Amino acid sequence: MPCDTTAALSLGGRAAYRVAVRAHGLVDEVPGAGPGDHLCWVYEDDAAFDEAAREFLVGGLARGDRLLCVGQRVIDSLQALTPPTLDAAALIAGGAVETLTLAEAYEAAGPFLPEQQLAYYDAATRRAMDDGYRGLRVIAEVSDLAAAPAQRAALVRWEHLADEYAAHGSGFSAMCAYRADLGPEALADVASVHPLVRAPEEVSSFRIFVDGDRIALAGSVDTFSSDRLARVLAAVRVRDDRLVLDLAALGFMDVAGCRVLARWAADLWAHSVALEVTGSSALLRRMWQVLDLARIAPVTFTGALA
Amino acid sequence: MTVPLTVPVDRFEHEALFYRGDADFLAGLLPFVHEGLENDEAVLVAEPRPRLELLRDALGSDATAVEFLDMAEIGANPARIIGVWATALDRHTSAGRRLRGVGEPAFPGRRTAELVECRLHELLLNHAFDGGPGWRLLCPYDQEHLPRAVTQAALHTHPVHSTSATRLSSDAYAAGGHVAAFAEGLPEPADAVLRGVYGAGDIPATRRTVAQWARSCGLPEERVEVLELAASELATNSVRHGGGRGTLAMWLDNGAAVVQFSDTGTVTDPLTGRLSPPLDHLGGRGLYLINQLCDLVQVRSSDRGTTVRILTWF
Repeated sequence: MPCDTTAALSLGGRAAYRVAVRAHGLVDEVPGAGPGDHLCWVYEDDAAFDEAAREFLVGGLARGDRLLCVGQRVIDSLQALTPPTLDAAALIAGGAVETLTLAEAYEAAGPFLPEQQLAYYDAATRRAMDDGYRGLRVIAEVSDLAAAPAQRAALVRWEHLADEYAAHGSGFSAMCAYRADLGPEALADVASVHPLVRAPEEVSSFRIFVDGDRIALAGSVDTFSSDRLARVLAAVRVRDDRLVLDLAALGFMDVAGCRVLARWAADLWAHSVALEVTGSSALLRRMWQVLDLARIAPVTFTGALA
Repeated sequence: MTVPLTVPVDRFEHEALFYRGDADFLAGLLPFVHEGLENDEAVLVAEPRPRLELLRDALGSDATAVEFLDMAEIGANPARIIGVWATALDRHTSAGRRLRGVGEPAFPGRRTAELVECRLHELLLNHAFDGGPGWRLLCPYDQEHLPRAVTQAALHTHPVHSTSATRLSSDAYAAGGHVAAFAEGLPEPADAVLRGVYGAGDIPATRRTVAQWARSCGLPEERVEVLELAASELATNSVRHGGGRGTLAMWLDNGAAVVQFSDTGTVTDPLTGRLSPPLDHLGGRGLYLINQLCDLVQVRSSDRGTTVRILTWF
């Protein structure tokens, strides 16, 4: 089981001069439990999901987290766990594991609004820590939310908000599971807002996640994923008059991808936010100059060149 | 047929100047530059280094009024040159000044494939600027050191040709010559060729294949990244505009790593990728970028299909 996913997975990028704070990349197995984990898990069959859910549960319990299982599919997995593996009934009775069906989740947090979701999970995380746990570790199977295109945009916004919440030392961590049969479009949308993704590479070519005070973009972006990048960037929350985008783990970006970044910078600029790009390749800066993208919006490039 | 030299033109005047040796080069160019300065025209000289310095020194204090560009740099890939002239023309015309240029793209020492592209470039200049604002471009050709085929071809690519003593219209010139040149085939590779077919789902695999091959050829990483980017852009063009699929070919040829993309689409505008595309315009950016970043780019297109060949020098 890879524990240091950052070192193992970011070799393809240009992360050499800055070690990412958070583990990120494509994984095959459930990584060792860490604070701020935000893992997207695309699964083909129930057995594979059961196994991954168990790994995630066990890792969280070993860390001293409270586990919150969201969605009937996760609850089914949990209830299949019996001694000697784990005593689900005893864990639930003792408060270390809580469950929530999607219906209950709706009732608890109201209609699916990212901000209300955040408020709900923030309260649950604080409660877990007040109860003596290290944090709240959530396993959520929310395929049904991703299936409806209209709902998906809100789901992507929520996933990004949750990522920021997890990244900022709240004690919250999560595994978000999605069925593979949702199809590549829906899966790519939801996978792209997680630092750690278990999915075929063609599904998750790039990942946007919060890393310290920056937004990181990892993987590769080309013409066929650039529309998705535009949608995901639109979900990024701005909290300052300056936003830093870290491209150190970006392996490839074509002209269409660069134009998306430039248009996003223009949108930010229109809202009085200056975009700073750090860790970009010399080639990307050259493209910016050749294509005269500075005419679209001012962007400051900082950091050492690879 | 003799054309009077001093009548100002309202159209694009594209002229080849044949010279033999330094003195003859200066005897042909100095009057042209001086005349431009006397008329208060913006004079822009794009020459390779030794000739650029020769002309600058000969101009003395007048040189400060002339803008100099190193043709070996801006015209390393001849497909970049029209963009430079277009930008200069636009800048000076909007400032109310007439432009006068000197450009020697086909200078001695250039590789055969580069000279082939210089010929296409010369033809495309007529297509690009005929019918636009009037300006003059004088293209020196070194009769002593260039292959005879190259200087002969200049008679077909320039409506006017001159020496330091004469100025004649070219009987060999016919407008529209770029159409045939843009459609003609490129020489077949002499050595072993790696070939592959790509479709819509293969863009990442195609760019990785090209990067891997370029790396295995020993090209520096910076060149490898440029070729990877070019591969992604060109394969995407094939998928989007070239019939949905294309063929990749890679081989080594005469000190160059060659990567070629072919598909069944047609590039209708032969200036595609040569002029800086306007901001709101979606197409043409990939090829423009490739022209700026790659050592030599050869584009040919007709109703039989499109080929883009990229040469990277070792």
